[in-house]
Amino acid sequence: MTDPVRATPDDPTLVRIRGLTTVLNGKTIFDALDMDIPRGKITAIMGPSGTGKTTLLKHITGQMRADAGSIHVNGANVAELSREQLYKLREGIGYLFQNSALLTDFDVFENVAFPLRQHTKLPEVLIRNLVLLKLQAVGLRGAARLLPNELSGGMARRVALARAIVFDPMLILYDEPFVGLDPVALNQVLKLIRTLNETLGITSVLVAHEIEAVKRIADHVFLIANGKVVAQGDPKTIANDGSPWTRQFFGGEADGPVPFQYPAVNLAQDLGFAGATK
Amino acid sequence: MSQPRSSYAVGTGLFIVLGFAALAYLATQTSSVANVHQGNSYTVEATFTNIGQLKERAPVKIAGVRVGQVQSITLKPGHDVADVKLSIDQSYDHIPQDSVATIFTSGLLGDQYVGIQYGTSKQTVAADGTLARTKSTQPLEEMLGKFFGAGSVVDNVGGSYTVKAGFSNVGSLSAGAPVKMAGVVIGSVQSVHADPVKLNAEVVLSIDKRYNAIPDDSAAAVFTSGLIGTQYVAIQPGGSPDALKDGDEMILTQSAMQLEDLIGKFLVNGSSTDKKDAGNGQSDTPAGKH
Amino acid sequence: MNPHPLRRGNVVTQSLTQIGLCGLFLLTLLAAIPRSMRYVRETIRQLWFVGAMSLTIIIVCGLFVGMVLMLQLYHVLSIFGGTSASGMVVALSVYRELGPVVTALLFAGRAGTSITAEIGLMRATDQIDAMEMMAVDPIAYVATPRFLAGLIAMPLLCCVFCAMAIFGGHLVGVTWLGIDNGTFWSNMTAVVDVHTDIVNGVLLKSLAFGAVVSLIAVFQGFTTPPTSEGVAYATTRTVVASSIAILALDFVLTAFLM
Repeated sequence: MTDPVRATPDDPTLVRIRGLTTVLNGKTIFDALDMDIPRGKITAIMGPSGTGKTTLLKHITGQMRADAGSIHVNGANVAELSREQLYKLREGIGYLFQNSALLTDFDVFENVAFPLRQHTKLPEVLIRNLVLLKLQAVGLRGAARLLPNELSGGMARRVALARAIVFDPMLILYDEPFVGLDPVALNQVLKLIRTLNETLGITSVLVAHEIEAVKRIADHVFLIANGKVVAQGDPKTIANDGSPWTRQFFGGEADGPVPFQYPAVNLAQDLGFAGATK
Repeated sequence: MSQPRSSYAVGTGLFIVLGFAALAYLATQTSSVANVHQGNSYTVEATFTNIGQLKERAPVKIAGVRVGQVQSITLKPGHDVADVKLSIDQSYDHIPQDSVATIFTSGLLGDQYVGIQYGTSKQTVAADGTLARTKSTQPLEEMLGKFFGAGSVVDNVGGSYTVKAGFSNVGSLSAGAPVKMAGVVIGSVQSVHADPVKLNAEVVLSIDKRYNAIPDDSAAAVFTSGLIGTQYVAIQPGGSPDALKDGDEMILTQSAMQLEDLIGKFLVNGSSTDKKDAGNGQSDTPAGKH
Repeated sequence: MNPHPLRRGNVVTQSLTQIGLCGLFLLTLLAAIPRSMRYVRETIRQLWFVGAMSLTIIIVCGLFVGMVLMLQLYHVLSIFGGTSASGMVVALSVYRELGPVVTALLFAGRAGTSITAEIGLMRATDQIDAMEMMAVDPIAYVATPRFLAGLIAMPLLCCVFCAMAIFGGHLVGVTWLGIDNGTFWSNMTAVVDVHTDIVNGVLLKSLAFGAVVSLIAVFQGFTTPPTSEGVAYATTRTVVASSIAILALDFVLTAFLM
């Protein structure tokens, strides 16, 4: 893989994807996908269900290998990293799972402290202060001794966010951060993402369906369909760029380039009407 | 969080210690490196020409009561005799010096133990003393020969006579069981069935014709070989001048002892005779398993 | 990863695939041992869960196995008047066969299933992926400590089981049925050999069974589809596969060790 494009720390692009191709169970997920995720911005990746948005995040973190193409994160080609280098890279990436993925054995405090305990030999006092500060940032310092099964969905997600930022990462990947949240919790999470981005300059990538929420928060939007980027740009202008994809996606039409019907044979033939041919 | 963590560590530590303790127990208590735990006891030596299957820690009994155990078995240097050290409880320290130490077997295939039969001497054997009079074990072949040989005599001669005996309880006595006199087989049990009138068990004994001088007031008893082995009929000769004839009925019988009595007798050491009488008196209670 | 390599082909192919993948997984586990040295605490925690938490069932079952064994032997041996040998037979059968096998079966049911279910649920709730993302190797942090804990716990549990079985046998034989206490122990100590029975029988066998059961449990947890049915299915399969593996391995080990 000879890619002439190498990102440097002062490159405005943090994640550079070129020619990404992935085939999963015989289905093409990505077809020569190109994408540049800008440093220090909030980028939203949108698209119909099943287009592989979560898969894309897993490619970025090196959890899944692509069939072809390259992904550079902060100048490093993810596919070429050894396990140790990959783990080193991941310490700089926070990942917020759709269902929070808190470790059920540990309470909130230990969940947030988990990465610190695993990767550092900090004294207990320092760990305690760091964790409490992160919990304070997500407003859950008082819930430090609760167990994950005692938390609501929104609280669990905030705890997971505190855990994701405990190492002050350069990049946070949010996998569907708004799913299943009531309006209050959604606003809290939106505010947190915004604050983290503004105060710490953390690059944020979020995969989401909620158009309103994305419009309020994202600096840049990629719309993925059929394994390619079909539209990108500022969330307020992208909706009006005239392409049939954006019209369907942002206009909320049931049928369009994303077909309402799953591919099938002719209905008349399927129902067995005499004389029906394809 | 450090609290539960350390409790895991403590619990796990306890678990590991328990596991190793169990291992140590298995290795020391149940295998051949076991140490013999002794209370207050003294040691007596006895020499046997053949100890058979006698093992260390086998019981030492007086009148069937356990008084100690075999401490060690060694070959006497320079002689082809076995030197057996008996460890006997301190409370049984009045064993006459001319007592006989015999190696017995409990049951046909049972385990061997050392039995001590009291002599008449006024002098008692001292600690670390020696029991000079010993009887060695009988080789298995000899015992089997006695057991089967006598049986085959009955079969070969074909000459046998039958006598009947009524028992209030025969235990698990069944047809084919040996009939013994003085421990020697003289016949076999021909049939066991309940008498519908007398409401007891009628046992027909088939006895070899050679033993035709058994007094007619002899007693028949159902005994058990070994602690709880197979059962047989023992005939204890009486004093009458008349002998038993074919078809006679034996009047004096002693029924099988029951499991409860046996366990009771075994557990309550030293009171065996009293128990025995009590057991016979209650022999009309339902039959035990053995 | 292709999620359904186990659903292809007939039963034979599937089983062979399972065994092959299991073998590869064992290599992965073993390779992760140096890395999991950092997580000694986790191994100790798992030792608590799979070992100490299984003690109750092991103690109770060991006691009853010893008691019932003694009762059965007593009735058979009393036919020959050889009841005094029953203590010895209890010890030998418990050390050589029943101890390791029954402990391993109980261990598979008690600890194996909980390992499988726990790992399956961790996968279903993305906890494994989350560790992966926090740069914590899930093999070294989740799989290997559980495997090692099973490996260490089994011989210890087996020793406890055997001790309880002997105790149970003694309880029934000596206290209840009236076998002579000295005879009970003397017969046992005369026949039980530390090397053949305790090292080869109890320790070696249970070590092998511990390895097999925990390998299967961890493997099933890691390879099951991360769904509710997947976890339920994997838990069942842990018990079935462990039981078959234990008994088959028992035959092989007995043939080699005796």
